[in-house]
Amino acid sequence: MNRKIGVYICECGPNIAEKIDIDKVIEAVTSLNDIVTVERYKLLCSEAGKNYLTEQIKKHSLTHLVVAACSPRDHQLTFMEVCENAKINPYLFQLANIREQCAWVTDNKEEATKKAIRLTKAAIARVRCHSPLEKKEIESNPDILIIGGGIAGIEASLQLAHSNRKIYLVEKNSFLGGLIKNFEKKYPEMQPCSASILQKIETIKKISNIKIFTDSEVQEILGFFGNFEVKVKNKKEKDIESFNVGAVVFATGSSLFDINKNPQYGYGKFDNVLTSLEFEQMNLSKKIVLKNNKTPKSVAIIYCVGRTDKGYCSEICCMYSIKFVRYLKDNIPDIKIVNFYSDLCIPGKSHQKFYEQTQGENIDFIRAENIDITKKGEQLNISYDDETNRKKNCIVDMVILSPALEPSVDAAKLAEFTGVPLGDGDFFAEEHEKLNPVSTSTQGVFIAGCAQGPKSISDTIIQAEAVTGKILSSLIPGKKIEPEVKVSQISESFCIGCKTCLDICSYGAITFDEMNKISVVNEVICRGCGNCVAACPSGAITLKHFTFNQIYEELKEAVQ
Amino acid sequence: MNEIQSNLDILVIGAGITGIESSLMLSKSDRKVHLIEKTSYTGGMAIKFEEVFANMECSTCMVAPLQQELLQNKNINLLTLAEVEDVEGCFGNFTVKIHKKARYVDMKNCIGCNACFEPCPVHLKNEFEECLSERKAIYTPFAGALPNAPMIDTKHCLRFNGKDCRACQEACMFEAIDFNQKDEHIQLTIGAIIVATGYTPFDCREIPQYGYGKINNVFTAFEFERLYASNGPTDGKILLKNGKIPKSAAIIHCVGRDNKGYCSSVCCMYSLKFNHYLTSKIPGIKISEFYTDLCIPGKSHQKFYEKIKKMGTMLIRASDIEITEQGEEIAIKYIDVGGKKNSITVDMVILTSAIVPKDDAEKLAKILGITIDEYGFFKEQNQNASSVVTSKPGVFIVGCSQGPKNIQESISQAGAAVGKILSTH
Repeated sequence: MNRKIGVYICECGPNIAEKIDIDKVIEAVTSLNDIVTVERYKLLCSEAGKNYLTEQIKKHSLTHLVVAACSPRDHQLTFMEVCENAKINPYLFQLANIREQCAWVTDNKEEATKKAIRLTKAAIARVRCHSPLEKKEIESNPDILIIGGGIAGIEASLQLAHSNRKIYLVEKNSFLGGLIKNFEKKYPEMQPCSASILQKIETIKKISNIKIFTDSEVQEILGFFGNFEVKVKNKKEKDIESFNVGAVVFATGSSLFDINKNPQYGYGKFDNVLTSLEFEQMNLSKKIVLKNNKTPKSVAIIYCVGRTDKGYCSEICCMYSIKFVRYLKDNIPDIKIVNFYSDLCIPGKSHQKFYEQTQGENIDFIRAENIDITKKGEQLNISYDDETNRKKNCIVDMVILSPALEPSVDAAKLAEFTGVPLGDGDFFAEEHEKLNPVSTSTQGVFIAGCAQGPKSISDTIIQAEAVTGKILSSLIPGKKIEPEVKVSQISESFCIGCKTCLDICSYGAITFDEMNKISVVNEVICRGCGNCVAACPSGAITLKHFTFNQIYEELKEAVQ
Repeated sequence: MNEIQSNLDILVIGAGITGIESSLMLSKSDRKVHLIEKTSYTGGMAIKFEEVFANMECSTCMVAPLQQELLQNKNINLLTLAEVEDVEGCFGNFTVKIHKKARYVDMKNCIGCNACFEPCPVHLKNEFEECLSERKAIYTPFAGALPNAPMIDTKHCLRFNGKDCRACQEACMFEAIDFNQKDEHIQLTIGAIIVATGYTPFDCREIPQYGYGKINNVFTAFEFERLYASNGPTDGKILLKNGKIPKSAAIIHCVGRDNKGYCSSVCCMYSLKFNHYLTSKIPGIKISEFYTDLCIPGKSHQKFYEKIKKMGTMLIRASDIEITEQGEEIAIKYIDVGGKKNSITVDMVILTSAIVPKDDAEKLAKILGITIDEYGFFKEQNQNASSVVTSKPGVFIVGCSQGPKNIQESISQAGAAVGKILSTH
């Protein structure tokens, strides 16, 4: 190909002009191969500057453009746009950063000029190896699969259905509603919880564009953002239904820590030791009684059960334990309640007030460690160490254990066949701890509620709505999806089929072609991180726009 | 059935990380967004942090790409130095009046070279740096502020106080300084509003027994953040007021919790982060953390706490803390869990202040027609439903303006408000 490279050096007002001898840079690169023109200009990013570049590209029939100016972070896109408008492929452009990396880091004009020459030469060397890259556009399916029919799945379904999306809601149980169906009230406002979820279930059943699968399991999810193929199996009828969606939401919720792992609490051994969920159910049935059908006169609530085993604080146990105090006092006004806690975790604006208003006669809060429960006649004896490490004990009729939340068993299964990674506590890992809490490293697969980590009902609703926001703003009917252009490529002849790249790819973009025994990149899923390139032992993988040759030629000039 | 044409454009108030995230998400679905920000820069409080818990990720590196994307986004109209004056109308059809103060710097011409600062003869305390360093009357509050263009502080600029000074204008090579700029009153028609005005830290002076403002080397959390920041007043050196390196430090949790009546949810974690800051810059420093209840909820936080505990920090559960000057040092008197009086001396004290609503939250609530709760945060319509929904349809509240929370939760709320808008409007 007959290359015609134009090189333009920005003065950036005095910023570059005063710190770098631009004429020397011009002189150093003018005679290089393929260079048609080298010019200086006062401010290339200005409107006038952009028009000037466009005219220059046309005037000299340039095929490649090099600009020596500021950081790519500032104006890479500006100049790529200029290329596009002037009808040259925007990837046949390279920006040399001679401001932040030369002019602004030294007062030594001679050294700055030397470095600016190197960087400009490096950019020229690199751009010679550039290939045009074309944007791709793929059709997308706007329908959505939601796995889990608890509050997160229900809220996401309702909101997405509102925007006329077709929803497939898959629930493994025979009923919707998840754990919170068992909760009479929700803290801190003590509004009805079970009743409100039942109402939502009625609403959801009436919406025609939500297709509900109960007693069902997702068996397979293949494909990529905008185009997933899903297989759902009905566990009772054994039949399998297949359909396509554009996005998937994991709303698989949580289950309770298995208390049998902590035998010191006597759960399963002694009567009247209940889990929080069992107590919620007992309260909902309006019959808070002991095994012998008598009303308890005293109850102990044990916080943080399983926290040490799990290695994290489940966030909601303090608050719902305090709610239990309310339940108990509402039903049995003169009952004595002892709360055994370690650290009270009641974050947020209205929770402390809820706690303060739950204190009163016959309600004790005791900071305790090394709790051990034994039977004492009809009653239960709780021995513990108090704050000052003194051994103490207390006798009650009933014990409620507040166990940690852990991911539901389905999470691990889903993670295995979809490749979406699990993170801390084996909850699904979010794409970014702060900035992308409801996205995963697999584009188009989202997480909401306790599938992402232990959290309250309100935070779960927020995440379900956030997923809606993510989906409605990225998967738009009729709008095509533009995947990354700078993706990996695997050479069929160099690949030795060692599968190293399959393990290294965080996005599940590489699959193995068993027939030909080679790895294959799905260009739609690949995000161009380059990890596979570095890991491949046979040098079979290249990353477009960061090829070995491009980097080598650039470095050769930059470091010689 | 009556159907009225509704306006699809959105107003986002506050260009902190939550407002930025809301705007970017909306712009992706081709909504026009007007993002208004009271200060001259974007990024809010998060850009004051050097690192964020629990991954100790560089905060600027986390926020800057979003800020850059924002500035280059054609669907987002960013108005800095702007405030809402008046709102009329209803969901789908709001008319909003904006007061945009003059920057006196033409953003089209300014390239952010900072050549105008040096000749300015006015020296002032830099509020962004918690007054630990100086700025001029023409300034950007910190290196790396985006948009990268200074503003003129007319309260102190000589030219705006009757003197004929043109020092900055003479230094500018791009004719970017424009003393004739005028404040603008802009009227916008929009369909929905997201309020993301954030928080301020609790004023530690309200608790006199902690000695803040009276005792040297008693720092607030934000002062300490800036001391550690590589673009801060000491270039990231943690120094005492006399320039010496502290050998011991105490971190006091829950400052303002009793006054405010709520747990701010992030202070325990950021206090633990401060441990990390101190030990990474001053190996061997002796650290004591005074706390009441450790509140470190969530799947990743306890792991962080356990790592810090292994570093040898003294964790003291204490009450009735009193801080006094003792020569060059600081004495901390407290009552321990056994009810015994105790004390230690340290070189430096850091007060981790509660998250409190912005001073003007009530005023803004009135303009928007929403309510504030008993703590002064914007009030959600119903605690049983979505926390981003207010009593006024079409006005959504996100981030710390709704209540204290961490960045992850703020970002989730931003997404939730966008979800609400895109699915109903």
